[in-house]
Parts: sequence; structure tokens; C-alpha cells
Amino acid sequence: MKIEARGLCKRFTRIKNSSDKKSGRREEFLAVDHVDLDTAEGEIVGVLGPNGAGKTTLLRMLGKLMSPSEGTVRLFDDEGKSIEDPIKIKSMIGYLSENTRLYGRFSTRELLHTIAEIHGISREEEEERVERISGVLGMGDFIDNRIERLSTGQTQRANIARCLIHSPGIYIFDEPTLGLDIISSEAIVSFMKSERDRGASVLYSTHYMEEAQYLCDRVVMIYQGRVIADAPTDRLMADTGTDNLRESFRALIAGRDGEHDA
Amino acid sequence: MMRKKTVFSLYKKEMLDILRDKKTILMMIVIPLILYPLIFAGSMLLASSMMNASTSKSYSIGFEGVEDEEAMRSFFEHDGKEHEYSFVFVSPPESYEEALRNEALDAYVSGAVSENRPYFSIVYMASRTDSQTAAGMIRDVIRDYSDKTTRSLIEEAGLNADEVMEPMRFALQDMSSDEENAGFFMGMIIPFLLITSILMGAMYPAIDTTAGEKERGTLETLLTLPVRNMELITAKFLATSTVAVAAAFLNVISMSFMALYMSDSISIANGSNIDLLSFLPAALVTLLCILVFAMFASAVCLSSCIFARSFKEAQNYTTPVMLLFMVGGMAGMIPQVGLNSTTALIPVVNIALLIADIFSFNFRLELIAAVLLSNLAYTAIAVVLMTRLFSSENILFGEASANLRLLDRRRDMKKGQIPGIGDCVLLLSTVMIVLMFAGGPAVLHLKLYGLIIQQSMILILTAAYAWYIKADAVELFSLRRPKALHILSAVLCWLGAFIIVQIFADLLLKVFPGLNTESSELLVELWEGQPLWILIFTIALMPAICEECAFRGFLLSALSDKLKFIPAIVLTGVIFAAYHLNFLQLILITPLGILSSYFVLKHRSIFLSVVMHFLNNLTSVLMQQYSEEIVTALPVLGKEDPGVVFYIVSVLIGAAVLGTGILLQRDKPSKAEG
Repeated sequence: MKIEARGLCKRFTRIKNSSDKKSGRREEFLAVDHVDLDTAEGEIVGVLGPNGAGKTTLLRMLGKLMSPSEGTVRLFDDEGKSIEDPIKIKSMIGYLSENTRLYGRFSTRELLHTIAEIHGISREEEEERVERISGVLGMGDFIDNRIERLSTGQTQRANIARCLIHSPGIYIFDEPTLGLDIISSEAIVSFMKSERDRGASVLYSTHYMEEAQYLCDRVVMIYQGRVIADAPTDRLMADTGTDNLRESFRALIAGRDGEHDA
Repeated sequence: MMRKKTVFSLYKKEMLDILRDKKTILMMIVIPLILYPLIFAGSMLLASSMMNASTSKSYSIGFEGVEDEEAMRSFFEHDGKEHEYSFVFVSPPESYEEALRNEALDAYVSGAVSENRPYFSIVYMASRTDSQTAAGMIRDVIRDYSDKTTRSLIEEAGLNADEVMEPMRFALQDMSSDEENAGFFMGMIIPFLLITSILMGAMYPAIDTTAGEKERGTLETLLTLPVRNMELITAKFLATSTVAVAAAFLNVISMSFMALYMSDSISIANGSNIDLLSFLPAALVTLLCILVFAMFASAVCLSSCIFARSFKEAQNYTTPVMLLFMVGGMAGMIPQVGLNSTTALIPVVNIALLIADIFSFNFRLELIAAVLLSNLAYTAIAVVLMTRLFSSENILFGEASANLRLLDRRRDMKKGQIPGIGDCVLLLSTVMIVLMFAGGPAVLHLKLYGLIIQQSMILILTAAYAWYIKADAVELFSLRRPKALHILSAVLCWLGAFIIVQIFADLLLKVFPGLNTESSELLVELWEGQPLWILIFTIALMPAICEECAFRGFLLSALSDKLKFIPAIVLTGVIFAAYHLNFLQLILITPLGILSSYFVLKHRSIFLSVVMHFLNNLTSVLMQQYSEEIVTALPVLGKEDPGVVFYIVSVLIGAAVLGTGILLQRDKPSKAEG
């Protein structure tokens, strides 16, 4: 299963930062500016870029949480059939971001049950899956506790279980390791790797360049809403003549800004 | 397109989330089951203690200028009645005003002789309770004293004191049964309590499932799931309604216990015997009202909270809603306001009046239906609007200014913007209020000229609002020249629809004569003896311009910006009809309103609907003015019962004309649009 985006744009309005006090201080700008993006099965694609580059907006449009101002998002299932209905697309995606918090008044088991029910998963199937996921993620100790009482790491595991329960073919993870300690983020990283090995496509944004370098098969660099590079991680580093993504990014931006000024 | 299973799963989730929240439970249970009885018991206690306080107190009184002070005092002390209070006589100080003011005296009596009789003036201070009570008691004592003196004077003259003092005797006899009295009393109190408790029940979950979810960050999680907006909002709406209904029932139970207790103590006190079973029909209708009103309140609360970004903001939005509901809930207590086909359409007020009505054993089926149906209609409109207007994106990341352009600073406003839904609500409610408080009196005093003022107000307010938000007048009001063909088809369509609607009105009034109102008589009174051209100007031309600008201009443009073609024209038609504040008119004007909205939106020219509106009102003026001539020319119109054939033929003619009109405009524009 893979995702395909063509010419994606998202237009927002913002207050113009200028000394001109006459009319029209509100201006439109493109938070995401004509982005093309593809994922492949069994591949982790890293969406990298600084804060405010448009990563979250892009991923929200891919996850059908936001509708694009222009452009299309399509999904191709395992038989290569194209899917455009947002509801169907959502049912095949596992979406996780720092904004997808969990219902604190529910226990993890109740949460998983609710989500499985909305996805239309049968009761027996659901119980089996909850047991399996609970084993994989080591949630046995706290699965029946209310989520508001869990630690940060436990909550994050519950959140992963949430996007796993319907066995999606595509994962969209928006800064999943932000603010987590080494052990918790390692759990997430190894989860993404195991899903990739299972054949899922994983789209993942971060600004931790080292993590991305270690994890991603391919990197899409975003800067000011535009894709400035889209290449396998190794090739990107080779092309920019560096041995780490941090330096590649600097090199790419430097070229970009010069272009901008000219 | 709505999947019941998904809605049900979401509903279960909402209910679990709401019920896990202790605050909601407290609001639901504590208020009706503990707070009400407490307030009730407390106020009983307070009342009885106040009564005791006023009777077991001693009051200080000063006398001056009374001839036989001793006799007066002894009468005060032993006037033959048992008093729990006592008077303390204080020798009047230099300045009694000061003594009254600094509470050394409660009342001051000065005696004099005027027209050969003793004349007492009782000085007191109405702003002090004790002083007021004391003055009242002194007045009673002096009155008794005066009676006694009269009696002895009459007897001295050798007459029968009873006959002279009371030459006629009378008694008031109350026809109404104990049940009717109790019902009248309940009808005043129950609506207010129910409306408030339902609102309280709906408000908290409404805030919690909208702004609360947003604040806790779970809304984005919810939106990653394969659910449609419609399903999401329906589930939230159902959950909120459930809690509101549950809260209302708990309140009803609590109130019933209090009512039982009260009726018990009243029966013991008065020896009356209230048959509670006689209230069963009223209670059943009230249950229906609770269900319907809980849905209405939930829809209103949800739509006022859905844009709030935080709990606090949502509470700010619901405060005015709460005030409006409470004021509306008091409608049942106002003696002059009754349920009729106008008040049956005013939200909140209609429920209050209906409950008051049925507890007075006054069952009018068409009005009960009108109240319940209009509440359901308002609810449906609110829910549909919510699902259409607030895409998940709007809920999550939306700005309030998209719906209420007025909130922006004017210099930040973009030129040529289309007003939002909030702007429409604000403008139309302002228009309604201005019409009610300024337009109504203007018509009352200035007659027809008042109507001109009233219509101008609509136009001026609409134009001013559009100017302020820098809307493009040509775009917003569709000020484009129509094609001749479109005018022709608009006229034909109006004529056809008009005939059908008239027939329908005739039939409707035959079935429900209660729907007819005096409003048309009022109009006739207005235009009696006026020259025809003035009538045509004020009743046909002015509304055709002013009302069209507000509804087919401002409202329709704003709605069509957010909604699809059909919902936009239907909603415009319904709101336009509802603005006439009359149930019969609501039914009859809606189709005409939808039809003219269709023409304006389809052919982008408001002049089409101006023509239709003008013809419509012109026809009613002419029909009113030349009714005799019309009946002479077409005798069938004057008949009380013109027969089935007449109805069928008329409807067929109407349909044929309407169909021709629709066909005429059909082909060309589709090419032009494409």
C-alpha cells in the first residue's frame, strides 16, 4: 500500500508584518507549496525540515485531517487500485502526532475497543489483536488503568497501539519522538522498523537529523513549504558532499537562500 | 450516507467520556436531587421565620398631639386582639425625623383635629422593613378604633350598627376546581424550572464534547478515524441530548416529590383535595416537551460552543444563551402573553407557554403540534448547519472570524468579502429586535408611514452591515440586470406557486381553524381609506426591495458561500418565512421563499425575486381592496365551500403555470453557466 500526493498546496492567511498601516494587512501565503510526494511499500520516508517549514500541515493533508487548497492525495492498495474517498483513506492510515492525545478518562483497553469498533472490527478479532499488541508493546501492566494516570512513555505506547489496532498499511508519524526519553523513543523507532520490514510504508517527520539518518530509507527535505530535496538518504548525503544529514540540510538551505535573494 | 453503526460507536464513546467526568454527574444529580429540595426547604424556613419575626417583635412608637394619650395607649395594648408583637411607647424626642432615621423610632403618630374630627398622621420610613410593618399595624389599630367608635355612635343613635355599617353583604366564589388552581400555579413555575434544568443538563456536556475535547487534544485523534462530520456531530448531539433528558427527568422526579409534599400540606391546610391523576395528560405532553426541548437546547449549546477553542471561551459563549433561555422560560409567568400561532414559533417561549397552557387544561392540538414541530425544525436546522459549516478542519484549526467578519478590525478586512454565518445571525437578530422595539411602535403611531419606516430600517441595517464588512454590493445583493425571459419565467412560477399555496392555505384553515390570526385584520385597519398608490408603495414595493435585500441578498449570498445550492435556497426560504412570526405564514411562505431564492441564486439577479415579491404583495393588496368586485366576477371564490373540483382544477392550473415557468428558464442558463 502506498500514498501519492500531487501538487499539494495549503493556503493560510496571516497578518502581514509590515509598517504599512493601510488596508490589506492580511495576506495569504502557502504553508505547503506544490508538493509532490510518494511512499513505497517497505520504506521509511523521512519528512525533514525546521520548525514552521510546513511538515505538520503536509502530513495532516496526507492523513486527510485537512483538505488541500490545491492538489490531490491518493492511496493505492495492494492490488494497485487507486482510492480517493477520504473515509477509506483514513481507515488505511495509522496517524500519530504530538497533537493526537488520548482520552484520559478511558483505560487503554476501552480506548482500543472504541477505536476498533469505529473501524468496524469484530469483537473476537479485536480481542485477539488487543492481546497481541499488548504483548508486543508490553502494555500488560497498565492496559486497564485510566490513561490520565499513565506515565509519558506508557501513554506513547498506548498511542502507538491506537494507530495499530486496525492494521493500517501506511503509517504517518508526525514527530513521534519529540520530548521522549531514550528508551521510549527507541521503542518507537524499533516499532517503525518492524512495520517497515512487515511491508508497510512509513512516513515520518522529525527535526532530529541523527535519528532520521539512522532510520530513513529516503528523505524529503521541506523548507518554506517547498520540497528542496527528495532522495534516498545515502545519495542525498553523497550529492551534498557531506557525511550527515545535518550538513546536507545546511548545504541545501544555503543554496536555496542564495536563490531566494537573487 | 450516515452509518448508524459508526454513529452508535461514537455515541457510546461520548457517553462513556461524559459519564466518567464527575463534574457532569454532579451537575446532573446534585442540583435536582439535593439543591432543589434544599432551596425549597430553605425558602419555606425563611418565609416562616420572617413571619415570626414580624409578629413577635416589639416596635417603638412615638405619640404626639393625641388628646387622650392614656386612652389611646390602653387601646393599643388591649384592642381586644391577641398580638404577638408589642408596642413600646417612647416619649417623642425633639426631632422625630432623626429618631426615625437612626432607628430609635419605628413609627411616629401625630394627632390633630381636622374638620372637627381627630386626624392622625402616621410617619414612617418605607425603606425600613420594621418601620413599614409598624406603620401598617398602627393603621390597622386606628381603623379598628375608628370602627368601634362608629359602632358605638350608631348604637347611641338607636340604629342597628351591623345594618348601617354593612348595608350589603357579598362573597367571592371561586369556580375553578382545586386541580385548576394547582395547574395554574404549576404552569407558572414548571416551565421555568424545566427549561433551566434542561439547559444546565445540556450545557456542560456540550462544552465538554466540543471545546473540552479540543482543549484536551483528543479531537485530532478522533478526526484521524474514518468518520464523517455528520456522524461525529450527530453522535455528540445525541449524547448531549441524552444527558439533558436525564437531567430533566431527575428534575421532574425531584419536583414531583416536592409537589406531592406541597399538595399534602396544602390539602391539610385548606381541606382541599387535589386529584393528581387529572394532570396525567399534561404530564405526558410535558414529557414530549422535555424530549424535544432537550434536543433543541443541545443543538443550541453545541452550535454556540463548537467554535470555542477552550473551555473558558465556550463558557463565555454559553452565558448569553443561558440568559436568553431563562428570560424565555419566564414567559409562562407573564399574564398577557399566551400561546398563539405567533408565539408558538418563538423558541424557548413556545415551550414555556405550551406547558403553562396544558397545565391549565387547555389542549389545542394544532398549537401543540406547532410548538413541537417548530422545535424539531430548529434543531434539525442547527444540526445540519453544524455538520455542513464546520468541517473537521474548521473545528480543529478554524478561525472564528470566518463566521463573524465583524470581529475583525475594519482596516484589516478584505474588500469584497462574503459575510459569514455569524454575521447573518447577528444581522437578522438585530433586525428582529429593532423591528420589535422601534418598528412596532412606529406602525402603531404612524400607521402606514410606520410601515415605511419599518421597511427602511431593514434596508438600512443590511446595507450598513454590508458596508462595514466591505462587502461587494453587486456581488452580495446580486445587483445584475435580469434577462427578459427569466423575468417571464419568474412571474409564471410565482403565479403557479401562488395559486397552489392559496388553495393549500384554504384547506389548511378548514382543518385547523385555530391557525387563523387577527394579524390580517390589523393590516386592514391600517390601510382603510388610504389611496391605492400609497398602499401599493408601502405594502408591495417597499418590502419587495427591503426584505429582498436582507434575505435574498445578504442571507442567501452568505449561505450559498458555505452550503450547496439546494440547502442554501431551502434554508433561506425557511428563515424568510419564519421571520414573519406566524405558523400559518411559515408553512405558506416557505415554498414561495424557496422559489424566489432559487431564481436569485440560479440567475444571479435579485430583481427576479423583487418582481415576484412585488407581485405577491400587490395581489394581496388588490384582493383585499377589490374583494367584492372579484367575487362578482368569479363567484366561485366567494363560496364557503367551493367543492373538490374547484380545488383540483386550481391546483392543476397552478402546477401547469409553475411547470411552464420552470421549463422556460431551464435550457439557456445551463449553457451560459457551462
